[in-house]
Amino acid sequence: MSESRTDVTNTSPLTLPPDVSKAAGASGLEPLTSDEIRSVTNRPITRSHSVRMSVRGRSVRLRGMRRQPTGLMRLLLILGPGLVAASAGNDAGGIATYASAGAKYGYDLIWVMIIVTVSLAVVQEMCARLGAATGRGLLDLIRERFGIGWALFAVTVILLANFGLVVSEFVGVGAAVELFGVNKYFVIPLAALVLWYLVIFSSYDKVEKIFLSMTLVFFAYPIAAFMAHPKLGAVARGAFIPTIRSDPDYLFILVGLLGTTITPYMQLFQQSSLVEKGVARRHYGAERVDTYVGVVFSNLMSIFMIIATAATLYVSGSRDIDTAADAAKALEPVAGHAAQALFGVGLLGASLLAGAVLPLATAYAISEVFGAPKGVNLDFRRARFLHDLHCAHRARRRSRADSESSGRQTSALGASPKRRAAARYTCLHNAAHQRQTLDGRTRQHAHI
Amino acid sequence: MTSSSGRIFALSLLRRFHLVDAQNRRARLFDLKIAQQEDADNSALKTTQSATSEDEFDHPPVTHILFHDAEKKLRALEWKEVESVERKAKEIRVRDIEAGVVTNPESLAKDVLLERDVLDAMILDLENRRATRANDLLLKEIDGQLRLEAVDTGFGAIIRRLTRGKYMGLRGAQHISDWKHVEFLRGDAADAHAGAGYNRRIARLPPGEIATLSNLLPYLHAAELLTLLPDPLAADTLEAMSPERQLQIFEELDEAQGLQLLTLMAPDNAADLIGRLQPQNAKRFLERLPQPQRDRLIELLRYPETTVGGIMTNDVAFLPENITVAEARARLREVFQSSDFVYLIYVVADTESRRLRGVVSLRQLVVSDDNCALKQIMDPYVSTLHALSSANEAAYRVISSHLAAMPVVGDDRRLLGVVTVDAAVAQVAPATWSAQAPRVFT
Repeated sequence: MSESRTDVTNTSPLTLPPDVSKAAGASGLEPLTSDEIRSVTNRPITRSHSVRMSVRGRSVRLRGMRRQPTGLMRLLLILGPGLVAASAGNDAGGIATYASAGAKYGYDLIWVMIIVTVSLAVVQEMCARLGAATGRGLLDLIRERFGIGWALFAVTVILLANFGLVVSEFVGVGAAVELFGVNKYFVIPLAALVLWYLVIFSSYDKVEKIFLSMTLVFFAYPIAAFMAHPKLGAVARGAFIPTIRSDPDYLFILVGLLGTTITPYMQLFQQSSLVEKGVARRHYGAERVDTYVGVVFSNLMSIFMIIATAATLYVSGSRDIDTAADAAKALEPVAGHAAQALFGVGLLGASLLAGAVLPLATAYAISEVFGAPKGVNLDFRRARFLHDLHCAHRARRRSRADSESSGRQTSALGASPKRRAAARYTCLHNAAHQRQTLDGRTRQHAHI
Repeated sequence: MTSSSGRIFALSLLRRFHLVDAQNRRARLFDLKIAQQEDADNSALKTTQSATSEDEFDHPPVTHILFHDAEKKLRALEWKEVESVERKAKEIRVRDIEAGVVTNPESLAKDVLLERDVLDAMILDLENRRATRANDLLLKEIDGQLRLEAVDTGFGAIIRRLTRGKYMGLRGAQHISDWKHVEFLRGDAADAHAGAGYNRRIARLPPGEIATLSNLLPYLHAAELLTLLPDPLAADTLEAMSPERQLQIFEELDEAQGLQLLTLMAPDNAADLIGRLQPQNAKRFLERLPQPQRDRLIELLRYPETTVGGIMTNDVAFLPENITVAEARARLREVFQSSDFVYLIYVVADTESRRLRGVVSLRQLVVSDDNCALKQIMDPYVSTLHALSSANEAAYRVISSHLAAMPVVGDDRRLLGVVTVDAAVAQVAPATWSAQAPRVFT
């Protein structure tokens, strides 16, 4: 038994040990040295979460107080919903648009991505700020501020758009695995099952970590871009000198770039996941950094996609690119099998990330409009509505409409509609009262 | 007003009515203002179990009709000016539309307007223990007065609103919550301090249920809810929340209330909460706490989180061994006023050294003879934990022992505190479950 152990345990709980009291008078919040931490206990404590502080003239060392990490570690700890939401925007459809832009117009459209980065940063940051300041999701606020009509309109549009997008993400998964010769009919259901299991049975922290690690696949694009040996001067010219053409295809792709970079599910997910993470307005600063880092990272990856295809497909004249898989296939003869494989890995990761985020964002939105409990942390019992929606969306089935059979039930209560309504109301009241009385044993403390 | 009683109006339909006066001047109804429960005395009454079931504010009356006049100015007309409500004609007959007083919208900020504040708002349905949306409001005509009777939370209410009552009229009102069982929150703790317009029936629920309900609310609403509660109940409710939620809400409370709650919380919970604050805030709270609480918390905070000391509570009842059962009972009357864990009483050699000798259950102390010596009825074979042992290992020992708590001692068997089974379960439970782990003994 070490001396230090005796030191602490032999001391009266309300009296400080001698080594602590000698430092009385210090007024700061000095972190403990590692020697001091080890001296507290007979076994090494690996977590050095304690600081020395002076409380009313007594210098005491207290556990729990976190020292803020610095440098790269601090940045990594900050990353979360902002990076996930922005990266999810680079989905299969997005990759196809960026590849198409690079293949058809070379580096000419990179400037659009720089401008749209600023717009996306503003929108995403605004959603993050709303989430932290109010503790509520985007649709939740729309419902309260603009009423049920606009909220339903918004959620219907989101539901339809996201339904189509989810399908496209799994098409992306299928196309990506086919590049490697794997059967898509095996992988797509498996991917859907794994993502479903993850959201249903994991905690938010775990889901966030997995989503964050999925964003690493985007590094495939800068590698593919460098392997394509782009002309840096042309890249710089494309990035900083805007080019406008009257060509309808050019304008179509330009609008497509804007549309695919700023998509509603990114805002929905950003705000709702920030709320679920429990970010309060007093700790918003770190989330802002996360948001900006996420937006810049995601759009930088998009620019690399444009560069990769511009340096290869545009130069070689293979300009008919409709899907991300087309781009990957076209890359092989020009930039080699490794570039194709990297593009394929990126497509797979991006599709999986978006395939995971999209149903979740949709379920968040619908739950918020109808006031149902929501949260990845909640199980089926406590957030049945959210999980049902998530499952339904993932299974690409339309959820069954709520069957309203009240009219038939109440028709027996009276002849006139007014009387029926009144009788129905009274009946419901009585039923509620009876339920309360019958349930009295379990609610004996409630006295409602 | 001469119309009949008992009719029910849905707000979604009522807001399409027009005001019509004797001179046939018309104005579109804009909103309805309801009476608010003003004083704290009344609120306190409602939290007691002897409160009458039919309170004036169980179903608050509509006091004013708001409308825009021909010059687009907002006017408030008192309900007593209303002569009748004509459902078929969709009219509210009033004596003189000009009697409406021109009102500044800012002056209505503190009032409760049904459409602006309640419709579509997140509400707590206390009867069904859920947080939900007010999809529609049902008003009942009683003695010429329109009263807010219930909230319709069903999908039918949404259909009714979208179809302007064509489908899912009042027949669609399936999910009705009586207003007296509804807690309506504004999302601002400062409003709760002002005290107006709250039902406060939430205070009749046990703290665990309040915490579970508050988890369904945005954190600002949850902070407001906590402010509505009496301080001891608020402290218990805060204890029942997950650590992250505790911190989020605690930081929204004003400092005086935060300090009060820290004083009332069990020391282990309060120490955990302080340990998660920013060091500067922790220091400020510790300095302002009363001396006994401060000393207890500092003592607990000295142990690392991964040790038994990090999960124990040091607010326990203990008695010297050389007294009789009668004396023990007399002393406990005083000790129990402040002790947090009272189900097992620890017997020590003397109160100075606090060297652990044995343990007595509350039941033994009640059924034993008055003149019996305490050391005769105590169990001298007590399993103990060391304050610097691993918290996880100790937690499994406490759970497998099937005891309410296990005492924590130093090397010289000095009693330092106890690890309750609640704390043990919370320690080893998975992260998503630990917040729901029961807290019965502390």
